[in-house]
Amino acid sequence: MYTLSSVTKTYHRGREGTVTAVDGVDLVIADGDWLAIKGRTGSGKSTLLQLLGAMHRPDRGAVEFDGRDLAGLREAELTRVRGEAIGFVFQTFNLIPTLSALENVEAALVPLRLPGAERQTRAAAALADVGLADRARHLPSELSGGQQQRVGIARALVKQPRVLLADEPTGNLDTATRDEILALLETLWRERDLTLVVVTHDADVSERARRVAVMDAGRLAVVVGSEGN
Amino acid sequence: MSRTRTDRTDRAARGDREDRATRPDHGLGLRPDRPTRPLRAIHPLREVRRRWRQTLLSGAGLGVGIGLVVTVMAAANGLGDAERAVLHSLYGVGTDISVTKASPSAGAPDPKDLNASGSSGKGIGYSPGKDPQPVDQLTPAPGLSWLPSAAAAQAGRLHGVAEVAGGLTLSDTSFIVPALSQIAPDGTPPASAFPTTLLVSGVDVAHPSLGPFASAKLVAGRGFTDADRGADVAVVDSAYAAAHSLAVGGSVTVELHRFTIIGLAAQPAGSADVSIPLARAQALAKASSTSPYTGMTSPDMVTDIYVRAAGASDVAGVRSGLARLLPAATVSSASSLADQVSGSLKDVSRLINQLGRWLSAGVLTAAFVLASLLTLAAVSSRRRELGTLRALGWPRRLVVGQITAEALVTGAVGAVFGVAIGLGGAAVLSAIAPKLTATVANSPGNVAPKNVGINATGMHVTDAPGSLHDLAVRMAAPVSASLLLVAVATALAGGLVAGLVGSWRASRLPPAAAMSDVG
Repeated sequence: MYTLSSVTKTYHRGREGTVTAVDGVDLVIADGDWLAIKGRTGSGKSTLLQLLGAMHRPDRGAVEFDGRDLAGLREAELTRVRGEAIGFVFQTFNLIPTLSALENVEAALVPLRLPGAERQTRAAAALADVGLADRARHLPSELSGGQQQRVGIARALVKQPRVLLADEPTGNLDTATRDEILALLETLWRERDLTLVVVTHDADVSERARRVAVMDAGRLAVVVGSEGN
Repeated sequence: MSRTRTDRTDRAARGDREDRATRPDHGLGLRPDRPTRPLRAIHPLREVRRRWRQTLLSGAGLGVGIGLVVTVMAAANGLGDAERAVLHSLYGVGTDISVTKASPSAGAPDPKDLNASGSSGKGIGYSPGKDPQPVDQLTPAPGLSWLPSAAAAQAGRLHGVAEVAGGLTLSDTSFIVPALSQIAPDGTPPASAFPTTLLVSGVDVAHPSLGPFASAKLVAGRGFTDADRGADVAVVDSAYAAAHSLAVGGSVTVELHRFTIIGLAAQPAGSADVSIPLARAQALAKASSTSPYTGMTSPDMVTDIYVRAAGASDVAGVRSGLARLLPAATVSSASSLADQVSGSLKDVSRLINQLGRWLSAGVLTAAFVLASLLTLAAVSSRRRELGTLRALGWPRRLVVGQITAEALVTGAVGAVFGVAIGLGGAAVLSAIAPKLTATVANSPGNVAPKNVGINATGMHVTDAPGSLHDLAVRMAAPVSASLLLVAVATALAGGLVAGLVGSWRASRLPPAAAMSDVG
């Protein structure tokens, strides 16, 4: 699915000068893989996730996604890739506070230009898949942290992406809820033949992954596990 | 803690316990026939509702600016109406050009000292006798002189002229020459010896849409018809009629002749008190005892010629043609007459047009800037939310549309505030505005006759008595539907500007803004 070759991403931060967040990373992520990316704060793991998620283009190297180099795509094409093929789960859930759970999930279908009725039906089904059918009309503020992350997962999966990218998906949850969310992600990964990439600090999360990549100062220090599913 | 917040906390606390109780069906009550909700419309509205304080602040700021603009424009419109009314009282609604001729010396015969001079300069003497002697004189209004009716016919043949009418503007001065026995030992005459003046207009009944009478609005009775050409009928100014208890069917006296009142008409300030058919006015003026002294040599003379051009582009050419045709006369268009109006009306109009418009433009600009800054602040505070939409694959145009739609709602709130403030401001202005005066020449278009005097401080030039007169004008601030439309459009434009500024900021947000850690 992904083939990263000598990927480098540099940020220019005013007086701090230039920061190389990702430095010459080579990585292959196969279809159906579950990769956990670990590393200390500032090690470049989130930037790597953003590169995988077509949020950034690398300054050097290539990020091939299904044979297409994301570095060579125009902004509108990157947007289309994000809208159609990639699902995101965020640490802070990132739900729109004024929209209900159902509407938040629907928001992910807006770029696909689906008819309203189909959008609504698919969003309802996605919420049901994560066990929140009875919370569809609730605003995010009326949901617990675990429920909000379930809505976030439903939103990521409603467009049936081929890859799910999660940025510290359990970082804001208590232990019990974290386990539920991890179990849910694992179930969905298995049932839907997803490719799952999770950035995490949490050893319990990385223990469940099939492979673990460790980032250190922008470099990929080590990858543990085999590429096969 | 509010009840709502408690309920939400309780629901959230229950949430995790109920997580495991997943339901196999969607259970949302979704029905195929249920109309789908336009998410892209719901989102901006809810966002505006969530930030209602900022929306109200921004809308109120826009509203103050819009309201001030509405008030100032309403005042300007009211002053414009007042100026037009003054001009209409001089030469009517449908007239493009008026022609008058200045008299060599201003003023009607002044009978106060029982010895007056007409514009011809010849003296008219009245001597008290054994019995009181009623006197009623028709003279051209102060400052005006005669024009031959033939000039009107010649004017009608000029290229670009659509219609021509003649008119007579006369002063009817009446008083009673007292008997010797009525004069006090110190020489003071009785009150009846002091003159009363009636402003009389001779109306060309064949061309009622030209001249001052065209501005009249009938409030009772009827207007003139062709059949009234030689009849002793009159249309009386409604204010004059009220002051003198006159009504339709009654009569009014002009030059000792009784005219039957056929109608009452509301007219701009300064209009004639009594309008009678032109032919009758000419006959009376010719027959008046003052005609030899005022220079009226034939009964077909007029004091005014009113011209309507075929089109706006013809006005300048017709004016030049008339000036060549009547070199001794003064040819005036609406714009040249407007320049000659002075008084507090002009002063206030100048103030509104200059200071008022600059002030409202400044406040409006400040309101636009405020709305834009608040929108920018809102975009910055929603960096993660907007970044999330971009990460979900929303193209820039959808995010821009979202911000613009929200700003337009703010603009709509500003429109509501602005219309309310504008209507209120205009109403207050109309209620408290003092009466204004417009000073106009008795001989429209002519330079007012001057008196020159010399005293210890040098030479002084003053307007000759009777050359100018003041018209009282009530200031109003009418708010028209088109002005309200302009207000709403301006408020929405303010919202749009703010939306574009916010959209520019939002469109520059990268999708990575959705994530907390960019490093």
